[in-house]
Amino acid sequence: MTCDIVLVGVGGQGVLTIGELLLHAAFEAGAPASLTPTKGMAQRGGFVKVELRLGREGVGPRIGERSADLVVGTERSEALRGIRYAKPDGTFVLFDHIWAPTGVMLGSDTYPTLAQVTEAIRAVTGRLVVLRPADLPTVDGRTVRPNVYVLGAMIGTAPLGELLDPSTVERVLQDRWPKLAQTNIAAFQAGLRSVS
Amino acid sequence: MKRILSGNQAVAFGALSAGVKAVTGYPGTPSTGCIEHLLTMDLPDRHVEWSTNEKVAFEIAAGAAWAGHRAMCTMKMSGVNVAYDALISIAHSGTNGGLLIYVADDPGVSAGMAEQDSRGFAIMSRLPMLDPATPAEAYALARTAFELSEAVGSPVFLRLTTTVALAHTVVDVEGPIPPREIEPILERDIARYTKAGAAICQQQHRDLIERLERAGAWVHDRKLNKLELADEPGGLGIVAAGAVNAYLNEAIALAAGKRADGASTLKLRTTIPFPWEETKRLLEHSGTILVLEELEPHVERAVHVAAQRLGFDGPIVGKLDGTLSPIGEYGVAEILAGLRVATGASSPTHRETPRPTDHEPQTATAASRLITVCAGCPHRGTYLAIDAAIEEAGYAKDDVMVTGDIGCTILGMNPPFDLLWNEVSMGSSVGLAQGYVHAGLKTPVIATIGDSTFFHGGIPGLINAIQHRVPLTLVVMDNGWTAMTGMQVNPGTDNAFQEDGRRIDLEQVIRGLGVERLYVVDPYDLTETTDALVKCLKHSADVSVVLARRECAIQAARRGVRHGTTTVDPETCVLCKQCLRVTGCPALSLGESSIRIDPSLCNGCGLCVSFCPTSALKWEATE
Repeated sequence: MTCDIVLVGVGGQGVLTIGELLLHAAFEAGAPASLTPTKGMAQRGGFVKVELRLGREGVGPRIGERSADLVVGTERSEALRGIRYAKPDGTFVLFDHIWAPTGVMLGSDTYPTLAQVTEAIRAVTGRLVVLRPADLPTVDGRTVRPNVYVLGAMIGTAPLGELLDPSTVERVLQDRWPKLAQTNIAAFQAGLRSVS
Repeated sequence: MKRILSGNQAVAFGALSAGVKAVTGYPGTPSTGCIEHLLTMDLPDRHVEWSTNEKVAFEIAAGAAWAGHRAMCTMKMSGVNVAYDALISIAHSGTNGGLLIYVADDPGVSAGMAEQDSRGFAIMSRLPMLDPATPAEAYALARTAFELSEAVGSPVFLRLTTTVALAHTVVDVEGPIPPREIEPILERDIARYTKAGAAICQQQHRDLIERLERAGAWVHDRKLNKLELADEPGGLGIVAAGAVNAYLNEAIALAAGKRADGASTLKLRTTIPFPWEETKRLLEHSGTILVLEELEPHVERAVHVAAQRLGFDGPIVGKLDGTLSPIGEYGVAEILAGLRVATGASSPTHRETPRPTDHEPQTATAASRLITVCAGCPHRGTYLAIDAAIEEAGYAKDDVMVTGDIGCTILGMNPPFDLLWNEVSMGSSVGLAQGYVHAGLKTPVIATIGDSTFFHGGIPGLINAIQHRVPLTLVVMDNGWTAMTGMQVNPGTDNAFQEDGRRIDLEQVIRGLGVERLYVVDPYDLTETTDALVKCLKHSADVSVVLARRECAIQAARRGVRHGTTTVDPETCVLCKQCLRVTGCPALSLGESSIRIDPSLCNGCGLCVSFCPTSALKWEATE
């Protein structure tokens, strides 16, 4: 079982953290794995891309165009930059968060509508999952981490879900944030449920 | 022991397991992670440091290696340009202890600066260069490089590319071994360690040539370059160098059925020394050759030389015939393009266009996301003050040359500031500015530079300007950290973070150089900073320096230091967006009926407040 994943989003959304959690889960599961982050210069607010190749030996870390089994966009506009990596029959998970650049807020630049983005994705693959920030669950009155919710949804799709068992990912979540394990596992499971 | 490591970390572990004594370097993406990782470890009896610049770093490593220890120096590709002056001289002298130069090249330009191929430096200096394709190979070849260095007495380059340096994967590593317990070698031998006269220099040149020849034999004996000949002669022969090798098997599998699966392969881990013997055997066995290497066609040219010597007259597919591009990173797509031409499936009618980068527009609807300075960044205040001072002094922005430099300070080139005109190399803003003055500009010339960049390469330029009484204004933006590469300590960083080092005060440095007109200002204080700049712009006889001093907001925030609290009164805010338009601050966004301030981002610098026409933005100092 193999799974090539491209994640795109904005610096500060925890995109790299999703990648690290999956890499550690693959390590726990004994599956070969590589993770390659591409970051812009800024601490926050710049374009971020993370590539994961799971279950494959002897391949380079970069994923070619039209070849990712799973593409995840964690921001509406940046998701457009992930489309060219999607396999024609691959899965696309869009977390429809809006992080408008200043140019958009000032009216000097345009921002895509959800319909424009989903249409562009559907031109490549019909297997589209749209997650809405409004659907994020709350635990003890606080909204959970969106990135862990998205991670749950990712594990709910094939072939990633066949490669990594949810319980393995939950163990990794527990190790990473021992004090917040309950909240994060709740977020993870809510994400998982959102696609089942 | 199996660990998840990046290529950078793998180099660090490789060096530790080879008993490295001293590791020096200057931060530069994508190479920074190597020393960053070492600095998190407890390493008794070893010295690890961020040096002032790459030349200094290399000289320190070379001194330790001449004294008999193993030493490593790390840098991004641009750093080799800086270190090269010392490097070429030390290349001619050779080394005693293993001396490793770890350089990270950036094909595809994910981190910025010229897309240069450091293999050219290895060719010029006749130094061996090892080119790993994966983090696991980076670990193994770091160890190999020290052995090779000592076997032939030559400094050795270890070259990673961005993807190899940043990719994380499982690497099987051995634990660190301590440095050798030796008395440092003190060898008085001017014939080896100086450049005193033609006889000495030419003997060193002969020695240099001979060392690389011995390195070639060593690399050949160790079979570092892997030749696999197909059963049937006369088919396709592929030569692949460095990082491309990671994708070769995958691409060949994808191209199976198109004759590529029966190809002979020569997988190179060294371009320098060039593996003539293996290349000759590949040419003798093949009818067509495909050369796969990122950036410059160094291997390909050598293959042409080998082909000419041998009388090989088959096609050689690569960059020189127009099939592949010297621009950008290579992956499966580029290999497949090469295979298509090499197997006759398509002809090299035009140069392959490099893949678009992720930053280029994918669709007309994607919003552009230009990088700006962080919320609370003191540089924002400096840019705004320069802008205001230019106007106040009676000039138009488009008439005033403001030279830029490397690091976070260059972000003043982007909106909303649109202030800086150029970016060349560490410290160049100061020299360029002088050239513009001598060219006869009638308007003031301003140079901008950050603290670490000033220490790295800006000081000689300032000395020159002072000596020659060049009327210009230098703005040194001192945030106390080497910020853009992820917050490294530099000579100006506060003593609390200097570990064993001590802080050097930029104000004293600049005064000590003889600058008479020096203003030390707080860039959060727009009035003070603007006033100082206006005085400088009106003074046309000599060098003026404005030292704009305030700690990096990210670092301050990490320690819980808050300058103040900025709030918005939703009743008074008319959503005119002036604050957003002028400052471009990422903590500001549009709410339903008023500006919204993200409290997790805003550190209360208060810069936005003075631009609010309705006084809806309010600021209170932290007590």
